[in-house]
Amino acid sequence: MKFKIKSWNSVAIWKWLANDDKCGICRAPFDGCCSDCKIPGDDCPLVWGVCSHCFHMHCIMKWLAAQQNQICPMCRQDWALKSDLP
Amino acid sequence: MPCADELYNYCCSALCILDESSSHHTLKITFGGVHTRSCSTVPLPSAPTTKHGFSGLTQVNVPPEAPSQHPGLSGFSLLPPTPSSSPAPSYPYPLIPTYRYSFMLPIYSQPQPQLPSPSAHHDWVPLFIGGIFLWESLDSKSFKSQFVIRNGDTSMAAMTKGDSAKSSNFSSLGNSNGINRTSGMNPKIGATKKLIIKNFREKPKVSEDYQIETWKKLKEAVIAIQTSKRIDDCLEDLYKAVENMCSYKMAAQLYDNLKDVIENHVRENVEPYIRGVQDRKIFLKEMEACWKAHCNQMTKIRSIFTYLDRRYVLHTPSIPSIWDMGLELFRKHVIGQQLAQTRTVEGLLMLIENERQGDVVDRSLLKSLLRMLSDLQIYQDVFEHRFLQATDAVYTTEGRRLMQEMEVPEYLHHVEKRLQEESDRVLHYLDSGTKWALIHTVERQLISEHLGSILGKGLENLLDNNRLPDLKLLYSLFSRVKNGLTDLCFHFNSYIKKKGRTIVIDPEKDKSMVQDLLDFKDKMDNIVNSCFQKNDKFVNSVKEAFEHFINQRPNKPAELIAKFVDAKLRLGNKEATEEELERLLDKIMVMFRFIHGKDVFEAFYKKDLAKRLLVGKSASVDAEKSMLSKLKQECGGAFTSKLEGMFKDMELSRDINTAFKQHISNLKSDIDTSVDLTVSVLTMGYWPTYPAVEVNLPKELLRYQEIFKKFYLGKHSGRRLQWQPTLGHCMLRATFENGKKELQVSLFQALVLLLFNDVEDLSYEEIKSATNIEEGEIKRTLQSLACGKARVLQKTPKGKDVSEEDKFQFNREFANKLFRVKINQIQMKETNEEQKATEERVFHDRQYQIDAAIVRIMKMRKTLSHQLLVSELYNQLKFSVTPTDLKKRIESLIDRDYMARDKENPKQYNYVA
Repeated sequence: MKFKIKSWNSVAIWKWLANDDKCGICRAPFDGCCSDCKIPGDDCPLVWGVCSHCFHMHCIMKWLAAQQNQICPMCRQDWALKSDLP
Repeated sequence: MPCADELYNYCCSALCILDESSSHHTLKITFGGVHTRSCSTVPLPSAPTTKHGFSGLTQVNVPPEAPSQHPGLSGFSLLPPTPSSSPAPSYPYPLIPTYRYSFMLPIYSQPQPQLPSPSAHHDWVPLFIGGIFLWESLDSKSFKSQFVIRNGDTSMAAMTKGDSAKSSNFSSLGNSNGINRTSGMNPKIGATKKLIIKNFREKPKVSEDYQIETWKKLKEAVIAIQTSKRIDDCLEDLYKAVENMCSYKMAAQLYDNLKDVIENHVRENVEPYIRGVQDRKIFLKEMEACWKAHCNQMTKIRSIFTYLDRRYVLHTPSIPSIWDMGLELFRKHVIGQQLAQTRTVEGLLMLIENERQGDVVDRSLLKSLLRMLSDLQIYQDVFEHRFLQATDAVYTTEGRRLMQEMEVPEYLHHVEKRLQEESDRVLHYLDSGTKWALIHTVERQLISEHLGSILGKGLENLLDNNRLPDLKLLYSLFSRVKNGLTDLCFHFNSYIKKKGRTIVIDPEKDKSMVQDLLDFKDKMDNIVNSCFQKNDKFVNSVKEAFEHFINQRPNKPAELIAKFVDAKLRLGNKEATEEELERLLDKIMVMFRFIHGKDVFEAFYKKDLAKRLLVGKSASVDAEKSMLSKLKQECGGAFTSKLEGMFKDMELSRDINTAFKQHISNLKSDIDTSVDLTVSVLTMGYWPTYPAVEVNLPKELLRYQEIFKKFYLGKHSGRRLQWQPTLGHCMLRATFENGKKELQVSLFQALVLLLFNDVEDLSYEEIKSATNIEEGEIKRTLQSLACGKARVLQKTPKGKDVSEEDKFQFNREFANKLFRVKINQIQMKETNEEQKATEERVFHDRQYQIDAAIVRIMKMRKTLSHQLLVSELYNQLKFSVTPTDLKKRIESLIDRDYMARDKENPKQYNYVA
């Protein structure tokens, strides 16, 4: 063995597993955060519905709080959180 | 004036009135005699009504039984009548008792105990006293007074009369107090004094010829003084003589006589003498001598005639004092003569001219003659004007000549010297009133007239060579004249713009631009601080000029400043201590402030910061943070939020890696844990965008990577990871024939080197296909390994550049004096593509700003012509844009229906809501 790796500094970029690049509610990109937050990441997470649409958690919470029926704003199906994430 | 026998009739009753109106309790004691005649002669202030109902001039008999209850004396102790109040047997009116009261009185303005006269009746009004006042000083504030009231006392009355010659009848009583110091029941009264009345003393008459005789004596004395001879008479006698003459109303005559004598002397002796002198210098000397002699004589004469001056002249407004008369005569007969005057003034001007040319002249002579002119009050009329004219002429020619002959610094020193000389002149012999005009003249002729040429000819040179003392002098001279500083400031400003432009504009000098800028700024600041007195105008001018020239070349300075900061913050920059670095960063921030396109700076700074953080080349976290806070202070939180996000990511990654290491150690698997994996997990939006690259990793690395991915996604659901091999770096342990080494390499370099574990030789194509690294990247990587300073590989054929036919071989004899060799510098190096991409991104982002600005303006104006819109945009946009760019953005907005062209006027736009 002429060369052997001793240490390795690697770099990775994380992205949301979203099927869209923008939140359907606030129209801000998922790479960013909802209009009320400043720091993307765990402070402003994404949530996925069973209908497979995803939103900023803060956005969908606000939406659901304002609606009588708990439906997805995109497809009007009943809103429920998808439990098994990829 | 009551006569002695009248006093017998006086009753001894008193009325004491307390005056409530003044702040002091003034005790007014009035004695009302039974004898109404004397009462009526005395003016009385209106007395308050007493309890008894009496007012004014009223008599109140003090009841002997209870004197202390007398209403008027309340508040004062009133001694009860002494036993001797029984009538004294020696007096013929035994029925009237003697009382003795004592009480305190405040002092008024009178410094001495004295009974006030009726004229001062607001204090005291003794109406009449049938007794005696006895005054004793108790302390400085009050007097104790006693008065003894008894029935008419002849001896006392007589005594009173004896002293009453000068004053009015009542106050005279006060004077008697001294005699009765031994106050008591029966004071011993001195022997009776007789009043003797004498006639007025007759004034002595003077002899008829007194006036003539005395004047003769005085005249002799005056002439003796004028001819510098001995005075025969005693000076005191002369003085007395003058006094006497004044007393006998001969003052006017005496004054006239004196004037005649002096005038004669001046006209007959002094003036012709002066006229006789021909030589100019001697003339001045003689003039001075005459003047001095005249002054001396006048002083002596005045001393003798002082009494005249005081008693007669002072009270007669129409005639001047003896001294002034002397001056007037001198003025009239000597200097008033055209010839003498001209010769004097011209002589003076000649002397001054000589002195200006460097000769030594008799300053005391000048001073004394100029003082003479001042004293004679003709300084302004005959001298000052001509002097200033001459000065003006001299310096006009001198200024013109020297501006041609001299270099500017030399000229400035000359001007300073001249100004100093002229103010010395004022100090030494000129009248101080001339100072302003004189200095002003010199300033005008030597500075104001040449402002433009001094600045044009010399300023640049002075600034270039950093000649601080000369610049300081320049400033101080220019600050004297109107517009001087404004002009200086203007030229200074254009100098900075010109010089600065040469620093900025030339792409050849890009490497040293920022350092040059910093040095230039330091130099200018130093000049402003040390030479221009930190004048606000100049400070602002420097700022304005820097801002102007730095933005002459768009974008590049911002980029270079960002890179300069990067170089300073990078690891291995050991030239500066922390404080020095801090100071340097502050200076850079000043430079940064001038730049309009701050987005360019941000983009490049971000790119470099990312590399520093990811490749671990940041010199100090503190310095990074301090720079960040400076930027935040300068541009606000929005500007730095992404940069802060980067630091946050690094912190989060550190936590994740710690957790991951724990995870690995718990994980019992066959994986080779000798590799120490650290992953920086980045949040997309914060970091510069990196192109996604796929490379072939060795199996164990791939597996390792997968483990981390699982670990990470387990912690953060809903995410995916995108690996960024371009930014990875490794530490390799290498074995050479000369021993073991540690190589710090980029991931790509590591991938290439790892290929050589199994074989000795590999061709370019083999390496490329095995690693799957993109062409440009692999070439750079191979070049760094085979053609750089540390050659781990050997290339055949040898050469600087890598070509596709090259073959590579492991370099067994690799030698380096260091154990740990860094070969990954290429990772930090900015490639041209990177630079271009960053620039592109900035321009791209700017489009949004332009769009936003256009929409903002159109929304406000609704309708606007193209020209006006463009000019408004230039006002709003902080970075430089070309009109074509703007046109493109406008077109794009029209396409997107934000605005529309006016149908009738195609050069006009309408906002579409």
